Amino acid sequence: MKQLKSKRNLARKIIGGLSFTSTLLIFQACYGTPQDFEPDLLIEGKVKAQATGLPIKSICVSVVGEEQDLLTDEAGTFSFYLLMKDSITLRFEDIDNTQNGSFASKDSVLTDLSNEVFVNITLPEK
Amino acid sequence: MLSIIKQSLFRRFRESETKLHELSYLFWECTTQCNLSCLHCGSDCSQNSLHNDMPAEDFLKALDTIKNPVPGFTVVFTGGEPLLRTDIEMCGREIRKRGMRWSMVTNGLLYTKERHVSLLNAGMGALTISLDGLQESHNWLRNRANSYLKTVDAIALAASSSRLNFDVVTCVNQRNIQELAKIRELLMGKKVKAWRLFTIIPIGRAVNHSELSLTDAQFVELMDFIAESRKSNTIDVKFSCEGFVGNYEPKVRDSSFFCRAGINIGSILIDGSISACPNIDSSFAQGNIYTDNFYETWETKFQPFRNRNWTKTGKCASCSNYKDCNGNGFHNWHGDKQQVLVCHNEKIMNGLKIKDNI
Repeated sequence: MKQLKSKRNLARKIIGGLSFTSTLLIFQACYGTPQDFEPDLLIEGKVKAQATGLPIKSICVSVVGEEQDLLTDEAGTFSFYLLMKDSITLRFEDIDNTQNGSFASKDSVLTDLSNEVFVNITLPEK
Repeated sequence: MLSIIKQSLFRRFRESETKLHELSYLFWECTTQCNLSCLHCGSDCSQNSLHNDMPAEDFLKALDTIKNPVPGFTVVFTGGEPLLRTDIEMCGREIRKRGMRWSMVTNGLLYTKERHVSLLNAGMGALTISLDGLQESHNWLRNRANSYLKTVDAIALAASSSRLNFDVVTCVNQRNIQELAKIRELLMGKKVKAWRLFTIIPIGRAVNHSELSLTDAQFVELMDFIAESRKSNTIDVKFSCEGFVGNYEPKVRDSSFFCRAGINIGSILIDGSISACPNIDSSFAQGNIYTDNFYETWETKFQPFRNRNWTKTGKCASCSNYKDCNGNGFHNWHGDKQQVLVCHNEKIMNGLKIKDNI
């Protein structure tokens, strides 16, 4: 069955290519959305206090130069999907004043971007 | 000569795709609650829908029957208005965990900056927002006074994203057909890259509004507008895959007409029904996720979608374009299924005759 499918796959690409149509394998239903083939990756992480090692809640994690950001949860964790790039700079900022302690900001440049990335960050107290 | 060869190869391609019937695009009608009550709604959704939203775990259980999703497999959240659900992001993340992509069709009313970022964070990769005219005609069709301004704001927000594969769709009708050039200008001003136009078929609430359907001459006008717009590279304008448009085919879209309902496109509807596009007559449901294995149903059923010879009836029986049209878009078969609801090519032929006589 698998072999049959792979043969058919090859045939579809050949026939499709020969019919000179640019978007044979990419389509959208009448009332649907475009398809998404952009390479992206999941970045997850945890933010802890340098002095105590305890997780920090409500740290703003943003992507420098991009529109995406979020706040760490109770466990100090965060996760988001980002467009794949050669490098991504994450910025960690304490924006809730002293509510969960008071921490200095930090940038982290990620260059080794495989499909999934886990970032451990420690922030020093101010 | 080249176009004949091309068309013949395309028919072979379509046959091969049908035999392969690889599921790569799945609609999830996750809610039928809606914050609008549009005149043309094919799903008859409302603020007081009788259906409860489908629990995420029920949908995910059905999704888990797909053991090896094809690369780029996309779940399209549709409704109703998906943004009325507060767990869209959670559902999206679950879909991504399974190696699939997800996207959403929305009216834009609840598409705020905060929700936009939150949806992107959850891995949304594509989005479609409906804009059905300039202020007056959009608000008329959407049946709500302030919907236009909110929708335009949402469009500007989505278009500003470098992550999203975003497009705007417009239901072309008698009230907005004269506004198309201005809408195009508006969208270009908002940096929208893609615009898809479609017409309204007389199903759902649209049955009671004759103004919603284009006359034959207006339909030709629409084809000419799209063909002319595609000559410039400023914005990617195309006609939707709703129907076969004869000689206009190469002029109004990137690829020849091919209704992929039940071939690559499936759906899980609000009551658990397993079908193809959500606007297809409910009598074509092939099973139900609450009683059947979803993927087994996809693999072993769907015969009416994959062998459409039954559509050779009524005006299609003797039509010389049948081998390219194949009974038109599947959603054009309703009721007793003895006659195609709309023949786009017939509208064009009639419209061109009227144009020639003027």
